[in-house]
Amino acid sequence: MANEEIDNIEKFEAKETSKKLPRGWLILFIGLIVWGVYYIAAYTPAISGWSQEKAYEESLKK
Amino acid sequence: MNDYQYDNQTVKLFIFSSIVWGVIGILAGVWVSIQMWNPAFQIPPYFTFGRLRVVHTNILAFGLVLGTLMGMFYYIVMRLCKIPLIFPKLARLTLYLFNIGIFLGLVTLLSGKTQALEYAEFEWPIDIAVVILWVIFATVIFGTIIKRKEQQMYISLWFMIATIIVIAVIYVVNNLSIPVGLLKSYHLFAGLNSANVQWWYGHNAVGAELTMAVLALFYYFLPKSTGLPIYSHRLSIVAFWSLVFAYMWTGAHHLIYSPIPDWIQTTAIAFTLFLIAPSWGSVVNGYYTISSDWSKMRTNYLTKFFLLAIVFYGLQTLQGPIQGLRTVNQLIKYTDWVPGHVHMGVMGWDALVLVAAIYYVIPKLYRTEIYSIKIANTHFWLVVIGQLIFSITMWVAGIQQGVMWQATSPDGSLMYTFSESVSASIPFWKMRTLGGIIFTVGMLFFIYNIYMTVRKAKKPATVSLEIQEVKA
Repeated sequence: MANEEIDNIEKFEAKETSKKLPRGWLILFIGLIVWGVYYIAAYTPAISGWSQEKAYEESLKK
Repeated sequence: MNDYQYDNQTVKLFIFSSIVWGVIGILAGVWVSIQMWNPAFQIPPYFTFGRLRVVHTNILAFGLVLGTLMGMFYYIVMRLCKIPLIFPKLARLTLYLFNIGIFLGLVTLLSGKTQALEYAEFEWPIDIAVVILWVIFATVIFGTIIKRKEQQMYISLWFMIATIIVIAVIYVVNNLSIPVGLLKSYHLFAGLNSANVQWWYGHNAVGAELTMAVLALFYYFLPKSTGLPIYSHRLSIVAFWSLVFAYMWTGAHHLIYSPIPDWIQTTAIAFTLFLIAPSWGSVVNGYYTISSDWSKMRTNYLTKFFLLAIVFYGLQTLQGPIQGLRTVNQLIKYTDWVPGHVHMGVMGWDALVLVAAIYYVIPKLYRTEIYSIKIANTHFWLVVIGQLIFSITMWVAGIQQGVMWQATSPDGSLMYTFSESVSASIPFWKMRTLGGIIFTVGMLFFIYNIYMTVRKAKKPATVSLEIQEVKA
């Protein structure tokens, strides 16, 4: 296999930054999880009482 | 040839076959785009919109993209694992099975044989062949990974493993059907269950094939072709695991305001919005990698392919989740906004990564240089402009359709008929065709470039002559 190209994995990763998670991105990541929990609670009929049908009927009253 | 050589021939043949299928699929796309505004282009029974559109989607998704991916997976796995494929003959068998399968798919779709499930149109005998193909493919890739000589598994291998597992699971489940003839079957699931399973499949087919698999290529070929190391290994791993975790829950966002239970829709929307985070993990990682040395944009012609690809991936993965929100969804659902969204992803992200990978791999396999960087640059700008015309006109057309369909007069009656919204869309459909043609011309430049690279490599005498000319 002498002629064949093999990959040096070390070259694929920047050493100084290889363990970094950018702060802005981390805030986005956690923020979306928190938002997801809120959203599921707010729009699940068994939890908040909201339902597509009720929302539709309300829209007709306007 | 000895046992210790890489199986480069299979990789080459996969790339060439997928380019052939790509030409058919892209031309079918241009053709159906013309049919949208000129009915004279309908040629019954074989070349009507209903048949050609599924030819376009299936031949591109499974012929062009999957073919390239299979070839590239073989290419990458050998190099990252530092061993040849453990079953080179099986790998070659997948090449033949793949081409036979796509050919039969093309013929049956043109004959109107379809399961009528989006991206799962192939009838059951072809599905069985696809499953056999996939099991063999998985055996070769997983076997090579298990026997690897490199201890550390680079991120691309993780994305490849996920792609293979996800496609196996969703393809088998959604294609469960009851055959009633050689080319006729009924979905095992009925009514809402059928719709729910179908879009769980549909969305994850896109997620696995057009996202995870292409990310495997992105993370491999970006550092390989530019020499820039990936900014953060941890970020890519966190993004990987959260992406594979979240994707499976999101399918029902295709069924918002349908009779699917509210809680399923809500859960799908929450997970869909969450997907911004893992997607943008890769966007940030890719951007920081390229921004570590901007001079590569000038000195390496492939850098811009990766940069624009990750930009469009970023826009796509922001736009997609926002479309999932109920208020946005009610405006753009069933409109041309959706093909605009899809095509930014496939023409702007997938196509750029795939062609960049091919531009890198073909000269390597033939031990030569690319025939012309100038042609590659022309190709790049044509496909970017073509894609932008396509996406933007469809977003505008989609919003116009959505607004027209919902507009009501003070007495509560609808302001426009459906056919009025069709007439209003025709100028946009014509512009889309223009965008498609520009993209197609760009791809022809690409194919010419690859063809000339291979031809040049096969005639060593001419090569040296050309080099001398350049030097002189």
